[in-house]
Amino acid sequence: MNHSQRHSNLKTRVASVLLVTSKKYQKIFGVAMATMFAAGCAQNAPQDTWQPKGPNAKIIDDLQQPVFAVAGIIGLIVAVAIIYVVFKYKDRGQAIPEQTHGKPALEITLTIIPALILAVVAVFTFGAIFKLAKTDDTEMIINVTGQQWWWEYDYPAQNEFGINQPIISSGQLVMPVGTKVLLRETSRDVIHSYWIPALNGKRDAVPGRVQTLRLEADAPGLFAGQCTEFCGLSHANMRMEAIALSKADFAKWVANQQAAYVAPAKDSLAQQGEAVFLNQCVRCHQVNGLLRADGTPAIAAPDENVWSGAAPNLTHLMSRNTFAGATFDLLSKQCRDEVWNAPSDEIGAKYLAGVTEDCLNQKDLRAWLRNAPAMKPMYANPTQLTATGGKYRGMPYLALSEDDISKLVAYLLTLK
Amino acid sequence: MFSTGFKYFIGVTVLSVVALIMSLFVLDQVALAGVAISMLIVVTALLAGIAVVTRDGQTKTSTPELSKDLTTKSIWPLVTSIGVVLLALGLVISSLVFFSGVIVLLAALAEWMVKSWSERSSRDASYNSSARKRLLNPIEFPVLAALGLGVVIYSFSRIMLTVNKSIGASLFIVFGLVVLITGILFAVKPNMKRSLVVAICVLGAVGIFVAGIISASTGLREDLVIAKSESHEHPECGAERSEHFDKLAEGNLSLRSSVDATIELVDGKLTARIVGFNKPQNSVTIRRSTATNFIFHNLDAKEYRLVADLGNRAVAEPEGKTEKNLVCTQLTAQGAEQALVLKIDKPATVGTSYILSVPGIEGQSIELVVP
Repeated sequence: MNHSQRHSNLKTRVASVLLVTSKKYQKIFGVAMATMFAAGCAQNAPQDTWQPKGPNAKIIDDLQQPVFAVAGIIGLIVAVAIIYVVFKYKDRGQAIPEQTHGKPALEITLTIIPALILAVVAVFTFGAIFKLAKTDDTEMIINVTGQQWWWEYDYPAQNEFGINQPIISSGQLVMPVGTKVLLRETSRDVIHSYWIPALNGKRDAVPGRVQTLRLEADAPGLFAGQCTEFCGLSHANMRMEAIALSKADFAKWVANQQAAYVAPAKDSLAQQGEAVFLNQCVRCHQVNGLLRADGTPAIAAPDENVWSGAAPNLTHLMSRNTFAGATFDLLSKQCRDEVWNAPSDEIGAKYLAGVTEDCLNQKDLRAWLRNAPAMKPMYANPTQLTATGGKYRGMPYLALSEDDISKLVAYLLTLK
Repeated sequence: MFSTGFKYFIGVTVLSVVALIMSLFVLDQVALAGVAISMLIVVTALLAGIAVVTRDGQTKTSTPELSKDLTTKSIWPLVTSIGVVLLALGLVISSLVFFSGVIVLLAALAEWMVKSWSERSSRDASYNSSARKRLLNPIEFPVLAALGLGVVIYSFSRIMLTVNKSIGASLFIVFGLVVLITGILFAVKPNMKRSLVVAICVLGAVGIFVAGIISASTGLREDLVIAKSESHEHPECGAERSEHFDKLAEGNLSLRSSVDATIELVDGKLTARIVGFNKPQNSVTIRRSTATNFIFHNLDAKEYRLVADLGNRAVAEPEGKTEKNLVCTQLTAQGAEQALVLKIDKPATVGTSYILSVPGIEGQSIELVVP
């Protein structure tokens, strides 16, 4: 058997194996492709970029729908052409045809067509960019600060919304519907990126810089988002939720956030929890209005303990539905579903009800207090803090007893 | 059947699979490495497939007869060994030497590899040489030009830092004029001898280089030496101490692109223009433990400074005593701007507030709110 015969036999065997293999797996491949295609039709996808719920997201959607369609058609044509060429001209041992070079008319046409398509896309893209960058029609300002791995929101005094003293919160951004809200973003440590897909595109939060992002919701609702700039170990756990309330409900929320601190009832478990809080938690977490035993205000010092210099302010904690960077729910699954699945006109009332004892997600909250680093990856090992000068990134393990945890849970429940 | 390209890519694929399996055992957190290696496997496997289907894109049925004895003397083994020595020394001495070694080593290996390849590409020595040039000259010329320009610019900067400020300005103008006139000369005399053009350029570059070395050995001019010892943090809220510090130096691009609020003094009135707010404000919310950049823009008739009153702070001695915690800009001339960076870790104590004010302007202040 000479070389060419051996070559031919080998090719025949390889071709037959490929044929059998392709037949055998043809159906599986088809099913896999159909499954992937069908995945695009998912209904329960809170971060779906194709369902805008406000005018800013609509601007992006109006741009991406036609661009995606055009790009999809072009992509399909190119893919089919490549597959056709690969199979038609694959190596069957045939002679290589004469090679030619240069078809000026074709090359110029194939250059001009994409250039024209891109030019048209660019016109509409620039239009959208300028619309999204507008700030002169702002009605409300919210400062947003990112740090490893949670978002802080503070509302500067704005009398037209009843905010006559700064409000500070974390995890959930609460805003009135039909209001042009401008977020002033920055970061305390590394670069993060703020993204609520249903309300707008993403904007980086960069240390030392203030960047703006417009948000507006058409109707009351809850909208999920997450950090989209890789920011360290728990980047995937740095989530956020935007809560759009009717203007009347938002006014109620503002009034509640500005309400004075109410100390727990005397001799209650919660009062013992307040003592534990003052002993352990207040080193980093602020609760506005909380007084020490000597009557002086308890001022947290996260700058002395945490690398970013901040820890979530827990004033009115139980008016939020999440904790630990919106990674965990304060509400039990059933209660959370009731809020998230409520009709738009009922969301406000259900959200403003906050977290009651019956609805509290005791399991996750207790687990968090028991050993936070075990719940969410954080650089909280005391033996490995050299790079941060002994400061934690995230909440450390506090070695709380089960008794103390019960007291703390009782106390936190009073922070309505 | 199996082309060279296919063998290469399938080799990388197999090694990547091995690396992926090993990483599962060796690494504690395999997520990032696992994704990266998996993507490498997918890409190289795809390339291997394309390579075998297209026969490495080979369009000729025969290749030119290879040369056997056309190799020439090469400097690259020597340069490579220098790179290796720098690499080893760098591990002990400094990262600068180490990375210099890396660059020298990579450049020498690339040159060596291409030279070896080109010398075996045909039996024609001139063709081999042109093949090498075709491949490497587009890289060599820009890199060498950038290095040469870098040396000239660095040398020129040393000269400018040594000579007197006013002489430096004149020198800059003269240098610019010489470059312009030389350029015009080359343009209007296109037939000028190439050797003459090269001589003019080399002489100019060498002159600047030598002057740069002399300047560097002479050292910085006196006022720059003094300015270096002066604080740039503006701690002095009393009499101005800095005499040589450039008062406009901080109105630069990086600050302007990251300013949180501009504090304006106009006709004796102090207002804050905050990013995002459409109207001037009389209070600014500062986030805890976050460096916040302000620009003080003095549009009033006299020199003023902006002062941030951040309450009291403890002093080292005597124990228990406190002093006013003030942070200031330098005196700012009419129409000029100065930067002020504030980082406040805690809110003001009950009954007090942090404020921005301008000494000499009564009844005007901006409240700093730290929630």
